[in-house]
Amino acid sequence: MIISYNWLKEYIDIDLTPQELADSLTEAGFEVEELYPVILPFSGVIVGKVEKVEKHPNADKLSVCSVSTGSEEFQVICGAPNVAEGQVVPFAGVGAVLPKDFKIRKAKIRGVESFGMICSKEELGIEESSEGIWAFEEEYETGANVYDLLSKDQDYILDLFITPNRPDCLCVIGIAREVAAITGNKLRLPEFYVEEETNQKIDSFISINIEDEIGCPRYAARVIRNIKIEPSPLWMRKKLETVGIRSINNIVDITNFVLMETGHPLHAFDLSQIKGPEINVRASRKNETFITLDNKERQLPENTVLICDEERPVAIGGIMGGQNSEVSGATVDVLLEAAYFKPERISYSGKKLGLSSEASQRFERGADPNGVIQAINRAAALMAEIAGGKVVQGICDVYPNPIKPEEIKFRPEKVNRLLGSNLSSDIIFEKLKGLQLVIKNEKVVIPTFRVDLRKEVDLIEEVARLVNFSNLPSRDYTEVPYEINQPEQENINNFLRDKLLELGINEAATNSMLKAEEAEIFQQGKNITILNPISDDMTTMRPSLLPGLLKAVNYNINRNMADLRLFEIGRIFTNYKENQLPDQPYALSAVITGRRCPEAWNSDKESVDFYDIKGIMESFLSKIFLDNFKFILYDKTKYLMKGESAAVKINDEIVGVCGKIADDTIKAFGIENFVYAFELDVDKISNKINFDRKYDPIPKYPYVERDIALVLDNKISASEVIGYIDQIGGSLLNHVDIFDVFHGGNIPADKKSLAVRMRFQSTEHTLSDKEVDQTFNKIIKQTSKQFNASLRE
Amino acid sequence: MPEQIDQIKRDFEAEAKDIRTADALEDLRIKYLGRKGHISNAFSLLAEIPKEEKPKFGQELNKLKKAVESQYNTLYESLKKGKGKDEYLDLTLPGRKPFIGRKHPLNQVSDEIKSIFKSLGFTIEDGPEIETDFYNFEALNMPKSHPARDMQDTLYITEDIVLRTHTSPVQIRVMQNKKPPIRMIAPGRVYRRDTPDASHSPFFHQAEGLVVGEDVTFADLKGVIESFACQMFGEDINVRFRPSFFPFTEPSAEYDFSCVFCRGKGCRVCKNTGWMEISGAGMVHPNVFKAVGYDPEKYTGYAFGMGIDRIAMLKYGINDIRLFFENDLRFLNQF
Ligand SMILES: [Zn+2]
Repeated sequence: MIISYNWLKEYIDIDLTPQELADSLTEAGFEVEELYPVILPFSGVIVGKVEKVEKHPNADKLSVCSVSTGSEEFQVICGAPNVAEGQVVPFAGVGAVLPKDFKIRKAKIRGVESFGMICSKEELGIEESSEGIWAFEEEYETGANVYDLLSKDQDYILDLFITPNRPDCLCVIGIAREVAAITGNKLRLPEFYVEEETNQKIDSFISINIEDEIGCPRYAARVIRNIKIEPSPLWMRKKLETVGIRSINNIVDITNFVLMETGHPLHAFDLSQIKGPEINVRASRKNETFITLDNKERQLPENTVLICDEERPVAIGGIMGGQNSEVSGATVDVLLEAAYFKPERISYSGKKLGLSSEASQRFERGADPNGVIQAINRAAALMAEIAGGKVVQGICDVYPNPIKPEEIKFRPEKVNRLLGSNLSSDIIFEKLKGLQLVIKNEKVVIPTFRVDLRKEVDLIEEVARLVNFSNLPSRDYTEVPYEINQPEQENINNFLRDKLLELGINEAATNSMLKAEEAEIFQQGKNITILNPISDDMTTMRPSLLPGLLKAVNYNINRNMADLRLFEIGRIFTNYKENQLPDQPYALSAVITGRRCPEAWNSDKESVDFYDIKGIMESFLSKIFLDNFKFILYDKTKYLMKGESAAVKINDEIVGVCGKIADDTIKAFGIENFVYAFELDVDKISNKINFDRKYDPIPKYPYVERDIALVLDNKISASEVIGYIDQIGGSLLNHVDIFDVFHGGNIPADKKSLAVRMRFQSTEHTLSDKEVDQTFNKIIKQTSKQFNASLRE
Repeated sequence: MPEQIDQIKRDFEAEAKDIRTADALEDLRIKYLGRKGHISNAFSLLAEIPKEEKPKFGQELNKLKKAVESQYNTLYESLKKGKGKDEYLDLTLPGRKPFIGRKHPLNQVSDEIKSIFKSLGFTIEDGPEIETDFYNFEALNMPKSHPARDMQDTLYITEDIVLRTHTSPVQIRVMQNKKPPIRMIAPGRVYRRDTPDASHSPFFHQAEGLVVGEDVTFADLKGVIESFACQMFGEDINVRFRPSFFPFTEPSAEYDFSCVFCRGKGCRVCKNTGWMEISGAGMVHPNVFKAVGYDPEKYTGYAFGMGIDRIAMLKYGINDIRLFFENDLRFLNQF
């Protein structure tokens, strides 16, 4: 909320500089987001008097004026129709500077010389648009510097962040009340007197019926007659201007002024447009529409508080008035409303209508039901004073169930218990009294404008913030007296992350919200969609980490970084059933693309292939102590390419997949390069990891290796051969591996050469050649037969 | 026997020196490493030597075989690449580098935060990112229509299921399952309906803390935050608490650290205030204790928020939060 330092000073003596005031307010919980002086954007402008006005000989719309500055007279051409002899005006002579760095020079206009300019407010940058020059209402002396005159009472603007629990501070008096509590100075409320016309009584104009007592606990009205719609006086326009409210006319300005001063929203109707006499406050029914004063027809949500005359609604209570009854230039009699509306109802309707006004913002947070009379009288008095109105006798005030101040049980010792402080009861009570709270035995009486004070802790906070948080003690951290058991998930994720990093893969962090189409590709069931997404790019919760990683791949490739190895560990979202939380397991995914080795003058230029992703996955699984995995051919993953995808099984359960990303998937992400990926279900693997490892003794006796190259049919897989040899190898065979695969040369096209290395070892003695040969030859014989293979030299 | 081994090695090295073609290399391989090659033959001689010397020579022979294989492989690779051996070595050429895995900067900072709080005796707790209205709002003293709900623009899955707007729901879940004392932080991803720009991301990361016990005070909260500030950013960092409003704490505070760029002297980044806003904190509201079945007369507690992204930005001087999630290699490779 924007507030003016000078305006604030009318209600409280402030012996602090604007900066000190801003700091104090911030420390008391009203964060001053900005503090700036009201600066006038011109220089060199002085007060001049228009001595003579004559018509320009060569232009109908221009005048040749003579402006006196006391010591000198200047000939000035002026185009404003309102220029007149005798006016005291801001005069910018040669050398003066106006906003946007506009320097005044001598000029010749239609053959007549001009030595300066008579300025409008617009030209001085004080008003957005002006009609005609500014004739001062004040009696300024000619020759005086206009800048100095206007900034003699230098004002400052404070932009305050008011937390939603403090609607009472959305006005100048509210802030003044806080300043009073902070500084101990006395609050000075405005003094006024409503002079009523005793020959007319309010009852003869209107009556009020509240049908919707829940939505509107109090409705009060006054009638002010014979007002004259005019621009507001300067002082009021200035005040409204400083807080960012545009002046409209005296009546509307008065309601806005009282709103800004007291915080209580008012509404003025044109009485002649009200089909009286009865005003009825009721809840809206189904399918009602209403044209608000901004000229928009609105579909009203059911149960909206409506102010109606005998024929139709005339305002949406607490939110916005109607076009059919608004004050206009022709208004003579005004019906002035001050009411209290139920916050929940205003909040509900405002949200449904998508409508937020100065009034609704206050009502929905909570206005003061007992501030109604003060506000309506303040406005009525001003209407009499500055709009020449006659206030009809009496207030029509319907308040069937008056809302009384609440009383809260309060134990001063609780303050110190919660704050860890050592404040005396005297200090504690002094702070509460400073806020106009009344101490009654063991209770504190809360004025109805303080909607935020409901519990003892709320009062403790009041004490704490007025003592100032920085004056409260801070206790040095002491040893924890109890045992710490870290939850497992935390440890697992860190463990997996570290192992992947050790394999030379970069960690990424990607958006959990995707485009629907992106999610669709990876989704097994139904997409989990957001009701109110920020944009079409973020409508769906990720069912996999791969779409995010593929986007990161695309992003980097587009920037000429095509050799990528990325992984992410994060939650994915699946298996959503109406109105239940979906499954949100942790997943782990990695992608690789581009070269196998970082680009360098001497590096291998080959691109990664299936065996790279598989190798990374194998190394990773063995690093996390899961050696008993098995890869199986697996074509059921829709985003992996058929024939180049596999699944990993541990104890007959599939825990992950790997392979080449399918062509259409890659294209959907705008990528043309080949990308290989793996995905693992973190929950499934983490409960299989055996952290309780025991050491295996290192063999005492040397091993012996034997190689063999088998030429066999292309269709026979390496794992079949290894599996078979492993099975028939006997106790001495300790390891079998493939060390080369060869096609071509003198090998027939439908065959391949598989070079197998076998390692023989005994835990009891050094093997003799004979022993090894015996086993080895047996293996060769059986294997050749099994696979119909021949041996290659 | 040892002489023979040495001889084989010398012969192989002499012959290898002159190899220039793949065919010649293949011949060499058969001659030495083939099934009936020199090394194979040498192995068969093992049978003739005394039993007690066998292991020693067995080892020697294995060593020889490995050495010959390795030299053969090197030759094979260099022939394949078409480079001759004995070429001039320019040692100023860059070395061959492996790929390096780098932890994401947010996780580096998150780890640092976690380790500081672990050292202060906090547990690290975790919970779902898609939450019910109850855990995200109701239990935290934010019933429906509470004006504070507007402060956090929420993304909804249904009217009752939301993307959590903070990690406080984890605190509720922990309190439901555990009696005090509690001392925890909950790091994790949270969501807000914010249009992305340099200082906003619709998803970001928080590490919210909670301590509950029989004698926990606002003074303890101040102490813990001060201790964290010094450990994270240095001993000279000051902490300032200002009153604020959150429905789940009372009293509520915002806390600021002295500006990490100018160390509190005032600079452009801190708009000359010398302070940087960090997050919110406060004493747990009695209604929150009621929601989880704790007796608010018996227990008191404090809670605090902390933005992991925000702290990472301060720590590394990053001025655009979106950089964390673009995964640009030029960014990731700096950490
Ligand atoms: Zn600074």
